[in-house]
Amino acid sequence: MTDTDFFVQQLINGVSLGAMYSLLALGFTLVYGILELINFSHFNIFMVGSFVALGVLQAMGVFGQATVMTGFPLIGVMVVAFAATMVFCGILGVVIYRFLLRPLRHVKGPAAMITTIGVSYILLNVILLTIGADNHNFPNPLPPITFAIGGAVLRLREILIWVIATLLMGGLTFFVGYTKLGKAMRATAQDPEAARMMGVEVDRVIMTAFFIGSALAGAGGLIFGLYYNDTSSNIGFNAGLRAFTAAVLGGIGNVPGAMLGGVIIGVIEAMGGGYLATEWTDVIIFSILVLVLVVRPAGLLGRLAPNKS
Amino acid sequence: MVEAVMTALGRPFARIPLERRKQLGLLLLTVFILIFPLIHDDDADIDSMANAAAYATLALGLNIVVGFAGLLDLGYAAFFAIGAYLYGILTAYQVLPTWSGFWTPLAAVGLVEKINQGGPDLVHFTLSFWIALPLAAVVAAFFGVLFGAPTLRLRGDYLAIVTLGFGEIVPIVARNVDSVTNGAAGLNGVQAPKLFGWSFGVSATPYYYVGVALVAFLIFVSIRLRDSRIGRAWMAIREDEIAASAMGVNLVRLKLLAFAIGAAFAGMTGVFYVAKLQTATPELFGFPVSTMILVMVVLGGMGSVWGVVLGAVILQLLQSWFLKGLSNWINDFGVMVGSDWLQQVDLVRSIELIFGIILVVMMLFRRDGLIPATRKTAALTFDAQHAEVRRGGFSGLESIGTHENETGNALEVKNVVVRFGGLTALNKVNIVVPAGGVVAVIGPNGSGKSTLFNVITGLTHADEGSILFHGAEILGLQPHQIAEAGVARTFQNIRLFPNLTVLENVLVGQHTRLSTSFAGAILRLPKAKAEESRARRWALDIIALFGNRLSPRIMQQVNGLSYANRRRVEIARALATRPKILLLDEPTAGMNPAETLELAEQIKSLHALGLTILIIEHKLDVVTKLADNVIVLDHGEKIAEGLPEVVRRDDAVLTAYLGRAAREAVNAA
Repeated sequence: MTDTDFFVQQLINGVSLGAMYSLLALGFTLVYGILELINFSHFNIFMVGSFVALGVLQAMGVFGQATVMTGFPLIGVMVVAFAATMVFCGILGVVIYRFLLRPLRHVKGPAAMITTIGVSYILLNVILLTIGADNHNFPNPLPPITFAIGGAVLRLREILIWVIATLLMGGLTFFVGYTKLGKAMRATAQDPEAARMMGVEVDRVIMTAFFIGSALAGAGGLIFGLYYNDTSSNIGFNAGLRAFTAAVLGGIGNVPGAMLGGVIIGVIEAMGGGYLATEWTDVIIFSILVLVLVVRPAGLLGRLAPNKS
Repeated sequence: MVEAVMTALGRPFARIPLERRKQLGLLLLTVFILIFPLIHDDDADIDSMANAAAYATLALGLNIVVGFAGLLDLGYAAFFAIGAYLYGILTAYQVLPTWSGFWTPLAAVGLVEKINQGGPDLVHFTLSFWIALPLAAVVAAFFGVLFGAPTLRLRGDYLAIVTLGFGEIVPIVARNVDSVTNGAAGLNGVQAPKLFGWSFGVSATPYYYVGVALVAFLIFVSIRLRDSRIGRAWMAIREDEIAASAMGVNLVRLKLLAFAIGAAFAGMTGVFYVAKLQTATPELFGFPVSTMILVMVVLGGMGSVWGVVLGAVILQLLQSWFLKGLSNWINDFGVMVGSDWLQQVDLVRSIELIFGIILVVMMLFRRDGLIPATRKTAALTFDAQHAEVRRGGFSGLESIGTHENETGNALEVKNVVVRFGGLTALNKVNIVVPAGGVVAVIGPNGSGKSTLFNVITGLTHADEGSILFHGAEILGLQPHQIAEAGVARTFQNIRLFPNLTVLENVLVGQHTRLSTSFAGAILRLPKAKAEESRARRWALDIIALFGNRLSPRIMQQVNGLSYANRRRVEIARALATRPKILLLDEPTAGMNPAETLELAEQIKSLHALGLTILIIEHKLDVVTKLADNVIVLDHGEKIAEGLPEVVRRDDAVLTAYLGRAAREAVNAA
């Protein structure tokens, strides 16, 4: 494998990881844009999502690496798995908001953020105590088709991940930009009070943001499983922190920013792992986080929100 | 519920004064803690109490950062790790340089010893535990400042995530730099502390006493700081950063101080903990540990010194006694009924689930924790509330003293331009306030009045121009520097520190005029003591300006006051900064005509004492009564200036307020 091939290979890996981080970062950005809340429960909604997906796939008879499917059965299985996971996680997010965060909406200070840390811990430990801390083999029903790009290898699963992530993000962009509810969402992010007076049901908008964000996190959890062929209860923390870094890098509250940030972080992780050392990847990513916050707190695409005083 | 139990327990002793009861309680507690290892001879239990002490010190440190200063630090365990590895590396057989003459003097004072493991002579570090404690505090505080400096100017929630990142990096470094830390396997053979040649060994009792002493020391430090100028400034930052800086609190310095002190507490605890455990692995310092400490602080009560200690002890007992005991009981029950599943139950494993539930439940139902930091003072009785209003006198005011009638111009705003994006909020505005004068700024909403105040007090950045205060440029200074120079203000939307009392709010105003240092606050030297009582007297003098409007309410939290009283507190707080010029932003907004008149009188008497005043006001009768000069702003430009009567009839002013048609109607009439 030549240097160029190695680079291309890491790029392919990085963009795939990045697609996953982008989906996860969108959830942070949507909720932050409206509530100015860092939602730590998002970390483990992602993790729960990967286990839900595992359960759904197994329920459809897709186990481990043994089941390989093609054609319509494959498409069907994928559509059902994504839909079920996303709906489950979306509802989970809405329930968390409705019962645990909404009562704190008008409480100043870190109360809501602390609650999300608590929720994250509860989700993590419910999985730990029921399913356990072991790694679980994640099904890979895709046929082993690969394409050679020079010496680098592009697998079908990466193409699938890119396609799904693009579809989801395209759908979100359309929703936010061109639907009535999307417009209400943007208005609420700008000024909830004014939006409410213009007849926007702010609470419904927030629940929608939680639903979409959590659903995308669930999709991210499924993609994690497909990409690594493996899942465990501790995947939420690292992926979540990286996705949050991605959201900040792109400009928190900014939807295209989160997508861009995710891909950048994914590529950095792959390149850092490929050229430097895997064990230092986290240090590199956190350093980027700190550097962005210090040098350009608004992120790459974001505008600094006016001080709400 | 807690109060109910406390009241019930306290009832038989109700005849003993509260202060004395507290002292007695403290004495009993101290005696019990001191004799606990003697009456309860169980090494495991003493050990878990020693652990509880370590957690309590961590909780006390995090409480300074989160509870006092309101900075959410999610990577607090990093500082714990720094202290632990400092002592670990400097006593374990991990880093062993080759012996040379350089080490001989260090060996003479007992910091190193020569060892031989076959081969050349090597250096073994033998740093004394008692030196390591303060050293770790200093090193951890240094890292606190290093981590804090780039991030503390960020918004609070960003700080949380950055500290979380730092909290992750430190264990990663510990894991990866295995030549120094022995990586994931952890340090081995950390030296036990020695006292006068006697080694602590592995018995839990000596560690218990060291831990208790550490907790006692840190409680003492926490309380002393809390009740000082520094503690008040921290709480002001927690309540409202912008108001705190406008009252002269140096945000960066005080936040860094909180971070450094919190880190120092954790560093010392790290030394203690690793000496007790005699090993250190990266797992001891990860995110779960930071969260656990946060749970202790939240459970006990953010900002409550005794609360967080209680929180730490409760959680430790929950883990080591209650859950274990309950699990054993369930397992025995399982044996009895022949259920395998019940025999397997281990509730200790669910401790993190319980942490999560505690966080959520406390936030939803009891955000102030088990022992709230602030006790709600009972509201005034009906009679007290409706007592005849005494308008207050100005007899105490002579002691304001610092603002004699000065000559020349107090404030000169020259050609100031402020742009927000495409909007020009102030366009080449010129304003002169002569020393000892009263100048009013009026103008329709959105004309730039509050922006003008924000520029003068350093809260908003100006694009062009210059602002001279008694001849010195203040444009570009930090808000706290401007406050220190003698510019005090109130805010249009009232920015008090809602959870502090009236008295505390006014005391924060004096921040820049007091000088008690960190050490002075802890040691409470005579000078600091005298300064503190002077500050309190001065605060009471100012509060007395408003007669019995505020005086009976000094111990009440300001968020329970009426709107008019909150405005009065804000003016009192501004006066407490000993200003040369007072900027009042719509001081009578929301007051009824009688209250308005009363306040106007009070402002007039402040002016009579020599205070220069710049006032934004909509009520023209107030303006006419007070101002020597009126400046009218519209769309960011000065459209008129002059005596109140003149300005009232000015064409441009009438147009700005009423529109062209109405202006013509007025002129025709």
